[in-house]
Amino acid sequence: MQREKEMKKKKKSKWWLCVAPLYIFTLLFVVGPMLYMLVVSFATNNGSGYGFYWNFTLDNYKKMWDGVYLQCFVQSFQLAFFTTVINILVGYPFGYFMAKLSKRGKQLLMFLIMVPFWTSSLLRLYGWIIILQVKGVLNAALQWLGILEKPVKILYSYPAVLFGMVYALLPFMILSVYNSVEKMDWSLVEAARDLGASPVKAFFGVTFRLTLPGLLTGVIMTFVPSMGLFFIADILGGNKIVLVGSLIQDQLTRGSNWPFAAALAVVLTVLTSLMLWAYQKLTHSNLEGIF
Amino acid sequence: MKKRLLVAGCVMLAAMALGVTAGAADEELVLFTWEGMFPDEVLDGFEEETGIKITYSSFDTDETMLEKLAQAGGGDYDLVIADDYIIEQAVAEGLVQEIDKDTVTNFGNINSLYQGQYYDPDDVYTVPYGAGIPLIVYDPLMVDIEITGYNSLWDESLADSVAITANYRVVNGITLLSMGYSMNEEDTEVIAEAGEKLLELAPNIRLIQDDNTQNALLNGEASVAFLYTSQVTQVLAEDPNLEVVYPEEGLGFGIMAAFIPSEAPHAEAANLFLNYILEPENAAACMNYIGYINTIAAADDLVDENLVAPDDAEGEFILNVSEEADEAYNKNWTEFKAACGQ
Repeated sequence: MQREKEMKKKKKSKWWLCVAPLYIFTLLFVVGPMLYMLVVSFATNNGSGYGFYWNFTLDNYKKMWDGVYLQCFVQSFQLAFFTTVINILVGYPFGYFMAKLSKRGKQLLMFLIMVPFWTSSLLRLYGWIIILQVKGVLNAALQWLGILEKPVKILYSYPAVLFGMVYALLPFMILSVYNSVEKMDWSLVEAARDLGASPVKAFFGVTFRLTLPGLLTGVIMTFVPSMGLFFIADILGGNKIVLVGSLIQDQLTRGSNWPFAAALAVVLTVLTSLMLWAYQKLTHSNLEGIF
Repeated sequence: MKKRLLVAGCVMLAAMALGVTAGAADEELVLFTWEGMFPDEVLDGFEEETGIKITYSSFDTDETMLEKLAQAGGGDYDLVIADDYIIEQAVAEGLVQEIDKDTVTNFGNINSLYQGQYYDPDDVYTVPYGAGIPLIVYDPLMVDIEITGYNSLWDESLADSVAITANYRVVNGITLLSMGYSMNEEDTEVIAEAGEKLLELAPNIRLIQDDNTQNALLNGEASVAFLYTSQVTQVLAEDPNLEVVYPEEGLGFGIMAAFIPSEAPHAEAANLFLNYILEPENAAACMNYIGYINTIAAADDLVDENLVAPDDAEGEFILNVSEEADEAYNKNWTEFKAACGQ
């Protein structure tokens, strides 16, 4: 009996030791900062320079209803929405047909999708600037081919930013669609066809439904990050498209209004969490599949 | 009583310090400034002429400099070069000593345009070392109108072709200047008015960026740019055909200046060095090297002509404003940026 108790004790303490680092890490580096951010969002900004003082206020949240700041949220959602739609239109067929390729073809495409990740995304964006600028590669090529008479301004516009967003996030859509198409049981499609369904009906009745979780994962993987990828808007948009992300950065650094930045970040976090929650309700699963 | 004792102590300490330095003959000079502020020829020339060895110590930002200097109690460093606003703070904290004008006989070589400024109204603590004046640069081949000042930027013919720096106070400031107000306007109603006017500039803005803004002129993205001095110098070096405009409505000023810390171990060497860099040839070499507007009148004929500001140039410094005013400037800026993206 005595021994058993001791063994139990030992087991218990060991269990704690194994899990403690994870808990401490999460508490210190995830929960802690989030709580701090939440608390700061109710603090009062210190007028001159950095810093704030602990005086409870809701002003930081009220301020967001001001036209221009609200517009930043609308702008961010709009951009994220368009990015996601284009990614679905391009990424779904891409992932679908990629999964149907031969083994070698799949490997090659997978390799090509992965290669750009070896270079920093910032560097790749500057590469796009060199290609897209007025005296850049694309304009020169189009003029040489006689398609354009005068160079066109492509950079520093909404389409340029949208293009950059789609470019940066497309791989995530392709890979999640590819994964679900790859895993799909094709015999179900065959059965549908044998029972008289047209190819279109079989696709929408079976294939599309079975790959919907993959597609939705792709949507989450593009929509949520595109709310935060403000550096793309800054670089390709010439700082003219103000997203919530750039607004937060602006308030943290130049504007030196930490409480307001914290409030913006809290709202952004809540909104993206809502999206994840909706995703879970919709698919009755969590995001485990992705990782 | 205590104060008097303190003063007496200080005098004694100073006397001792003087005695020591005079006896040991200055053999070292500790420079404290940003990296790359002097060409080697000038540093070597000074060492050869005086036998004083220069130790170059550098900082990243004005704030780090002040912190280190305060920690050293105004000692450790012999000569500091930093921005105007931080010098004001250093003087206020008692970390700066007066320049010995008996040693710095070339003090008169300084362009009076850059003297008597807010951080040193009586010109006792500082020697200006280059000025930054944001200017308008344009490509005459791509612009049909005559650009004379900030108001020209609002011209309809410049739709989607203006690149500007991303400093919210500077951009607010030039809008206020274009309306005949001060860059440091405190009245929030006037600032709101400037915000309205800024929104009208939005359709002309091609790009808002702080780093390498000048590239927009070179790669054809913009035909007009409002640039910091170092960017103006760089872009003119690349394309001498570009035109530079000193806006008629007034200029934004920033001055870098040298001062001797209160407890500088080798103050005499620092004074000698100041005198050395005030020699016209040396000053010209320095200014050409850093690419800022020349602040030494005697060197005007020797420096790159683009580094000489017109005689009637008059500038205003960006100063700290009240919380309400700053908030209003911030709001103008966010609204302006958002309007540019429409």
